[in-house]
Amino acid sequence: MITATHLRKQFLVRGQPLVAVDGISFDVGNGEVYGLLGPNGAGKTTTLRMIMGLIEPDAGHVEIGGVRTDHEPAKIRHQLGLISTNDGVYPWLSVREMLMYFADLYAVDVPVAQTRLEELSDLLGIRPFLDQRCSTLSTGQKQRVTLARGLMHDPPVMLLDEPTRGLDVVGSQTVFEFIELLKQRGKSVLLSTHRLDEAERVCDRFGLLHHGTIRFEGTLAELRALTGKIHLVDMFIEMIRSDQPNAGIAPAGA
Amino acid sequence: MQEYLANGRLSRLCLKELRESLRDRRTIITLIMMPILVYPLLSMALQRLLIGAAGSNTKSSPEYVIGVEDEATAKVIGSALRETQRAASSGIRSSIDIRRPLREYLPGSPEPTSTDPLDLRDTSQSAGQVFDSNVSNILPSTGDAAFSIVIPEGIRVSESLQSGDLDLAVLSATLNRNSLPGGGTYPAFEFQLEFRDGDPRSEAAMLEFRKAMQLVNDFQFASLSQGKIPPAVQLVSSAVGMRADPMASIAGIIPLVLILMTITGAVYPAIDLTAGERERGTMEAMIATPAPRFVLLLSKYVAVVTVAVLTACANLFASWLTLSMGGLGRALLGEKGFSFLALIQILPLLVIFAAFFSAILLAMCSFARSFKEAQSYLIPVMLVSLAPALVTLMPNIQFSTLLGIVPLVNILLLSRDIMTGTPSALPAFAAVLSTLLYAGAALVIASKLFGAESATAGSQETWSELVRRPKRLRARPDISELAIYLALLFPIFFVATNLAGQWKLDISSMLMVNAVMLLILFLLLPALYAWYRRLQFGETFLLSIHGDAPGGAWVRGLRFLGVIGSVALLAAGLWIVAYEALKVLSDLGFGTLNLERTAGLEEAKAQFLKIPFGMILIATAIVPAIAEEFFFRGFVLSALRTRLSTLRAVLYSAVLFGLFHVINGSMLSLERFVPTTILGLALGYLAVRTNALWPGILLHAIHNGLLFWLTRFSQSELAQWFGSDQEHFPIVWIVASAISIGLGLTLLFVSTLKRPDEISA
Repeated sequence: MITATHLRKQFLVRGQPLVAVDGISFDVGNGEVYGLLGPNGAGKTTTLRMIMGLIEPDAGHVEIGGVRTDHEPAKIRHQLGLISTNDGVYPWLSVREMLMYFADLYAVDVPVAQTRLEELSDLLGIRPFLDQRCSTLSTGQKQRVTLARGLMHDPPVMLLDEPTRGLDVVGSQTVFEFIELLKQRGKSVLLSTHRLDEAERVCDRFGLLHHGTIRFEGTLAELRALTGKIHLVDMFIEMIRSDQPNAGIAPAGA
Repeated sequence: MQEYLANGRLSRLCLKELRESLRDRRTIITLIMMPILVYPLLSMALQRLLIGAAGSNTKSSPEYVIGVEDEATAKVIGSALRETQRAASSGIRSSIDIRRPLREYLPGSPEPTSTDPLDLRDTSQSAGQVFDSNVSNILPSTGDAAFSIVIPEGIRVSESLQSGDLDLAVLSATLNRNSLPGGGTYPAFEFQLEFRDGDPRSEAAMLEFRKAMQLVNDFQFASLSQGKIPPAVQLVSSAVGMRADPMASIAGIIPLVLILMTITGAVYPAIDLTAGERERGTMEAMIATPAPRFVLLLSKYVAVVTVAVLTACANLFASWLTLSMGGLGRALLGEKGFSFLALIQILPLLVIFAAFFSAILLAMCSFARSFKEAQSYLIPVMLVSLAPALVTLMPNIQFSTLLGIVPLVNILLLSRDIMTGTPSALPAFAAVLSTLLYAGAALVIASKLFGAESATAGSQETWSELVRRPKRLRARPDISELAIYLALLFPIFFVATNLAGQWKLDISSMLMVNAVMLLILFLLLPALYAWYRRLQFGETFLLSIHGDAPGGAWVRGLRFLGVIGSVALLAAGLWIVAYEALKVLSDLGFGTLNLERTAGLEEAKAQFLKIPFGMILIATAIVPAIAEEFFFRGFVLSALRTRLSTLRAVLYSAVLFGLFHVINGSMLSLERFVPTTILGLALGYLAVRTNALWPGILLHAIHNGLLFWLTRFSQSELAQWFGSDQEHFPIVWIVASAISIGLGLTLLFVSTLKRPDEISA
């Protein structure tokens, strides 16, 4: 469903070029949950933003369902849902108003949006506070509203950017249940996170991102075979360690 | 785009933004609390100021300064005042009630002096007193007031009065000896005086002087012994405007406060709906939706403008109420005070201003990632924009034509002039049109900035994209480029036409200057712009001969002939329609040709006739046709068609064409709007149907040529043509021209029809 090909993005940070994403390629199949894993600054968010069309890649391209994102950006965005850590709510709108607003932003017709709202209210348990102002909601309630917001246009592809950051066990559990729900509905999910233990629980396949490149890719079994480690966390530490001596030795050799 | 503009979706999006703004208590506070607090406080302050100013002027026994032109006049005034003294010493009090408003005595209204026969003894001795030439003989008169007489040097008294140096100006004063029926004579004075309209001090001086003169008449009346004779003193007074009116400058505070409050109303929602979205973390989710950024921004813009306009309304109403209740309005703005009519006129100005400033605010705030950052951007902008605004408080500042294009200042001065009842048409037009164009440009820039990731330079659509030379060749200018180009072009065009009008050139040079200006503004600059921005000339300016007409040589040839024919038919009819529309509108009072200017025109016409007609044709028909078609049907129409339906694009380009023609040198010719817009519609339709520029150039040139050809004839020659009706074409002509236009349009339609198999091509 998602095909990224040789994506590359470079930023200028105080006049110095910084390669955030360095030619990565990956595929996410229909109904698959793909974990894009990496430490902070690995290039996860930049990759997601390029998929969303929020920033233009310097090189490479992304296809969603066989359509290139830079060719028909508006059409692509109808296919994508986005939920990220930083997502907020509108304090002065009621939950219903906010969800209907996003339905309008996705050009969903009002009757369709209303049925979907009813359905999501039960699925995500937001019905009790549907007509409450968002400013009065608890963190957990806000999180559910955000999850519902991502599904108002029923996108076939869902991008989750660090969805559990800052959440407690209960909050994280809600997210896992949400991902299960997406899976059941046959959505393709791209999950970006640095919580490797969580990723192990929900992802079908993984891409280990470091310094803007994918170092390892595959299912958990494949990765275990490849690295000889059982847990993703160990694989990661190994990957980062193997980098550091290189960094020290490299100048002489390379 | 379309799915967001239909089904009430746009209004729902706007509603969300409005809800967000209006449910926030902070918005409501600026909206309601501020006007309730500000105006009473302001009025108290102003009242103190006025009392202070008046107090310093009118201490116990005031001494008024009367200006005269020469010594002889001074002597006459002096002797009249001495008469007053004599009358006063006899114990008579003036019959004028000082509390009666002065205006009753203006010319036209009956003189309330006792016009009964009066008797007065000879006062020839007292008339012969000597005066110091330049300054001052302080003449005590009635005991209520003292007058000093001055002869201003190097300036007319009337001007000296207007600039506030005098309290009264004597235009003429004569002293005659009238004979009494029973023998003997008495002195009879005739005065013509001026006072400053609306200035309490000058008005008081006038009243005191009148009172003094009335005393003379009353004295004469009291010692009456004989039949009907004219009164001893006859006095005509007239009001002149204040040139440097201190009150008018205070009056400038009111629009300034209104504008400031409108800005205040807009600031909070502007920050909240842009930087606020970022701060709350709702921006990314919103930007990630397929909703076009322009639509997102537009809904926010509508909300900001709405709140700003609501604030403006609340403030306008509060200020109106304060000013009309306390009598402060009359003190500040003259007799009528802050009229309801002025209120109705200022409201749309505030709306236009709100539209302009909201766009600026949104553009500024779109940079910001947080509330704090937005505020730190806005405060300098507001201070910088307020500096010129304070200039409008200067007492001598006039709303000159060129200030009409200075943003903010133009609206302030126009509001001030509306309040004091003296708006002038051309700067007003320039103020409104330029502010609207600036608003459009600011909105475009805001929509480019909005949602751009400021952290990631060089991403997506940023404002640098509007300035930088694009890498790729593009077919046509975008509508956003047009908005910015127009916002730049209009002030240049306006200043250029005005300066040209002030040069006092003879007609042939004027024609040349005009032609060169048209070529630069409408042909050279758009062409340069198109080159810099890598626009395809052929597409932008419709430069192909056959347009997009497919088919073989035969079909093309036939079509070509058809287009030529339709141009001929349209040209034959349109100029008559244009002429008649111009005449009818002028007759209805939209014309700006008054008698004075008609007299000038006769002279101009005589000069005009001396210029070879070939040269006139080049300057008024061929050059304008090429330049204006290049711009209005080329650049403008092409840009409009990228986003709008053909019908709307043609309509808007025609209206724009009409608006630019209303400005005629340093004059405003409103009557030209309708005929020019009609011509613009025809030219637009022609350009759209043929997809080529040359038919329009042809039609435009013939149309202008025929109209100017008409000016070659004298009134009497025209009268022969026009038959009994002196000014209008005979009805047969008008009907024929309508038929000709109809046929022309039909022929155009038919000859540019596409066969079904061509449409897909």
